[in-house]
Amino acid sequence: MVKNVTVFTTNQCAYCHMVKKYLDNKNIKYDEVNLDNQPNRRQEAISLSGGMTVPVTLVTQHDDSRHVVVGFNLSSLVPLLA
Amino acid sequence: MKNIIVYGADWCPDCHRSRKFLDENNILYTYLDIDSDKSIKAEMLSLTDNKNIIPTIVLSNGQILQEPSNQVLAQALNDFKSVEPDNEVIDLVIIGAGPASLTTAIYTTRENIKTIIFEKAVIGGLAAVTDLIDNYPGFEDGISGLDLADKLEKQAKRFGAQIEFNTVQKIKLLSNNDKKIYTENGIYIARAVLIATGTDYKKINVLGEKEYLSRGVHYCATCDGAFYKDKEIAVVGGGNSAVQETIFLTKFATKIHLLVRSKIKASQVLQKKLQSFIDSGQVVVHLQTNIVSILGDNQLVNKILIKQDNIEEELPVDGVFIFVGLKPNSEFLNDSSIELDQLKFIKTNDNLLTSMNGVFAAGDIRSGSTMQIASAVGEGATAALRIRQYLEEI
Ligand SMILES: Cc1cc2nc3c(=O)[nH]c(=O)nc-3n(C[C@H](O)[C@H](O)[C@H](O)COP(=O)(O)OP(=O)(O)OC[C@H]3O[C@@H](n4cnc5c(N)ncnc54)[C@H](O)[C@@H]3O)c2cc1C
Repeated sequence: MVKNVTVFTTNQCAYCHMVKKYLDNKNIKYDEVNLDNQPNRRQEAISLSGGMTVPVTLVTQHDDSRHVVVGFNLSSLVPLLA
Repeated sequence: MKNIIVYGADWCPDCHRSRKFLDENNILYTYLDIDSDKSIKAEMLSLTDNKNIIPTIVLSNGQILQEPSNQVLAQALNDFKSVEPDNEVIDLVIIGAGPASLTTAIYTTRENIKTIIFEKAVIGGLAAVTDLIDNYPGFEDGISGLDLADKLEKQAKRFGAQIEFNTVQKIKLLSNNDKKIYTENGIYIARAVLIATGTDYKKINVLGEKEYLSRGVHYCATCDGAFYKDKEIAVVGGGNSAVQETIFLTKFATKIHLLVRSKIKASQVLQKKLQSFIDSGQVVVHLQTNIVSILGDNQLVNKILIKQDNIEEELPVDGVFIFVGLKPNSEFLNDSSIELDQLKFIKTNDNLLTSMNGVFAAGDIRSGSTMQIASAVGEGATAALRIRQYLEEI
């Protein structure tokens, strides 16, 4: 069971847009961290993904296990949201 | 239904056994080698409660099998088969959801031709990844790629186009002229097919390019540019994309080295825009310059080695953005009978028909296309009319 979803994005990143659209379509609530508006949270995204790229999606399950998906990658994201 | 994923390694005999079993049963799957990339191994561990077990196989329904025997795998695949799409014959399958595809879909769905689009990445294609489109008619102030993609998607969906996230892997012509389309999510049958798969960024194949992917090496400025606020970076390339992306990246980076192999070939309009950044010193152009390698501290990029007039020089940079041209997305046609040109773009006749009966191609993927959104959209409309004619005649 999913407890929390956070998506790190930037304004013009098409793949971020796709992740958000996917979650919206599935009625899954998420917090968005827009790095254009909150540049001080860039390091957080880098630590999670190990890279300098967005989107980074952090899925926290009810048992508090955390899973990170980099990019618009449905084959990794969908099983985490099931 | 989703793709089957096999996490494995070359040294693992059970991985070879499972893959052989899948191959022999003609089951398509994606193989991910856990030794090829740390993130793949991390992904595998996240599925197995941190246990190092391979093969780990993720089935289409999300079921995870760890080191399954062939018998367990066969049982699970029986379930897989029972949910395979029933092979209803679809009027038109379009591969790719860029501007060419979405235009065709607007036309065909308005005429009640049942149309399904398969897209592996972003709706809107390369156009969606572009920050500003200044030369597409009807938008006097230009339009952002994301906005144009959104509008095209909404318009196509208004008339009933169905868009599915799915990667097409192979097309085969059947004896009754239907087309069998192998995808990550199963097999589909269509009367007509439009290939509108466009192009993707080329790699430069230098040392460090693969190792530092997303850790200093990037191919998408709109995605990753924001990480380079107040940093010094290099952009490789001298065509329209390289110059347009350099201009975009000036929003973030304090200094950009534009590395051009020969001379700048971008349009005059773009060159003029670039000039103001050259004048201010924010962009430094290095002509006749090749990039030799991308170096770092194992974590992140910190410098590159460049070569000009046979003299090598180190340039301290935090990142490299590579825009050296585009390669056609036609790998999935490699062993099909669809004819490609020398550069692997799809050959068509005047009706945009490929060498396979009932399979059409439009947009950037087509040999001889002019690689512009306005022409991709025009070809999309032409393809729709030719496809309608084809469907009426068969
Ligand atoms: C940086 C940059 C700036 C540009 N600026 C402009 C501009 O200002 N004006 C302009 O007119 N043009 C511009 N272009 C060119 C424009 O983006 C393309 O001409 C246009 O997007 C081509 O449309 P298309 O539909 O043929 O293909 P694409 O837009 O490339 O779409 C193809 C789609 O097919 C998908 N696909 C590929 N293979 C498969 C598969 N096997 N299965 C499923 N899906 C698949 C891809 O993911 C992609 O979404 C620019 C291009 C770049 C790179």
